[in-house]
Amino acid sequence: MNWLVDLIGTMGDREALVDSSGEYSYADLSEQCSKYRAEFESQIKQGDVVAILSDYNFYSISLFLALLDINAIIVPIVSEINEEIKDRIDISKCDFVTKLDKNGKLDLTKMKCEEKHELVNELKANEDSGLILFSSGSTGKPKAMIHNLNKLVESYKGKKTKKLKMLVFLMFDHIGGLNTLLNSLAMGARIILPMKRDAEEVAKLIQKYKVQILPASPTFLNLMLIGNVAGKYDLSSLKMITYGTEPMTDGLLVRLRKVFGKVRFLQTFGTSETGIAQTVSRSSDSLEMKIDDPNLEYKIVNDELWLKSKTQVLGYLNAENESFTDDGWFKTGDLVEDVGEGYLRIIGRNKEVINVGGEKVLPSEIESVLFELQEIDDVLVKGVPNAITGQSVVADVVWNADDDKKEVRKRIRAHCKALLSSYKVPTKINIVDSVSFSNRFKKKRIL
Amino acid sequence: MSDNEITKLVIESVKEIGADQDNDEMINATEDTRLFGDNLDSMGVVFLVTILEESISDDLGVDIALADERAMSQKTSPFRNVKKLSHYIQMLIEEEKDS
Repeated sequence: MNWLVDLIGTMGDREALVDSSGEYSYADLSEQCSKYRAEFESQIKQGDVVAILSDYNFYSISLFLALLDINAIIVPIVSEINEEIKDRIDISKCDFVTKLDKNGKLDLTKMKCEEKHELVNELKANEDSGLILFSSGSTGKPKAMIHNLNKLVESYKGKKTKKLKMLVFLMFDHIGGLNTLLNSLAMGARIILPMKRDAEEVAKLIQKYKVQILPASPTFLNLMLIGNVAGKYDLSSLKMITYGTEPMTDGLLVRLRKVFGKVRFLQTFGTSETGIAQTVSRSSDSLEMKIDDPNLEYKIVNDELWLKSKTQVLGYLNAENESFTDDGWFKTGDLVEDVGEGYLRIIGRNKEVINVGGEKVLPSEIESVLFELQEIDDVLVKGVPNAITGQSVVADVVWNADDDKKEVRKRIRAHCKALLSSYKVPTKINIVDSVSFSNRFKKKRIL
Repeated sequence: MSDNEITKLVIESVKEIGADQDNDEMINATEDTRLFGDNLDSMGVVFLVTILEESISDDLGVDIALADERAMSQKTSPFRNVKKLSHYIQMLIEEEKDS
């Protein structure tokens, strides 16, 4: 039996989970997990590849645990786009597809299954459970990667039991969401699952369930500011906000600190390939962080962060391992600055660096400068092709006052010119209603 | 839109850039003011082009791309001086209307 499933079974009446269908204890979770296991046991065997098509809720988490317990290989799919679902099932070469209705009724479909991927066979032979995740790759098909799930879950072992209430923001098809889930379960914490991931809904839940920890992306935190949810709801239960998945800017952190004065801010860092690192922020006001993780080594090569972790993926199912070096280092694609004393600062993605006539421009630097203007609610800086300079800097800006567009552009340019070298000043400024972000609340800088 | 009005628009934009760059020749721009190579570097052209594209789009409702491969491969650069740039813009606007 898996130790985590075992542990959950010992926690009894402790509050485990809240979703749109109700409130559940650890005993409920354990019971539902056993129910599913009994239900599928005659069909699903150790080493089978099983897709879970479901929202993130009490039932899907129970099913996830039941499958972990028999060492299956799990493919969580929360997409609602048929083509995407089919793609993911095909790439994973699933043996079974499971669907859950809103009452948790399990619908099991056996798939015709061809030859398995070598990495899947390896897991099966070693009687390890597996997890297939898809990267949200900005171009082309998403990459499918496979983790040794037992090893990943093992890294949460030995946590002290804590009475904490955490909101789980990302879904379990994402390493960050999975991290919050496993962390919470291993600590016996209470998990609050939002039905909709919008600022209003999340704030309502924080008030209602006195949530203490909120993991979120900077883009989402800014949506909370724009929606003024702190003025509408009592968010005083919040003790800590963790932010990650994209770079935070100084300008936004200053605004957040003003609104959430007593809340601690912690930068998190992780990749689908290596799992989530344990990090320490220098302070709540600082974007400098330290990677302090016994399971993880790092080094910086040409400004890029390279990681090697004990919980990293076994490999990809549909792509080359080109992001890995022969000796197992994962090139994250994230640019960092070593600020000394072991602290790092994340400055952007190397794919998002804008090249203006040979000069490098980091979107986050420009965004941070723009954020100093109080009339700017949100901003996204990206590069576009330019016949003269190769690329030029474009800023999409959400302006919260009713000013003449020409005047707004002039003011923005003047502000940037005062603070930035001329090649960094946005040549084009689009005044927009909202900036574009992905369904995981990450800014979309590459089209 | 007459040639004359476009020239005015170009001169206004050149003056705006001139003010940004403390360049007297551009602040007092006329039809004959030289641009790229003399008063403007390539970044300067990029800014001028953007301001012009914005104004043309805002004032005339016509979207044109001033800096593209075609502009770069003209025998004499349209960014040489105010007059050449104005002619080039006029030509692009007429093409846009015809299409």
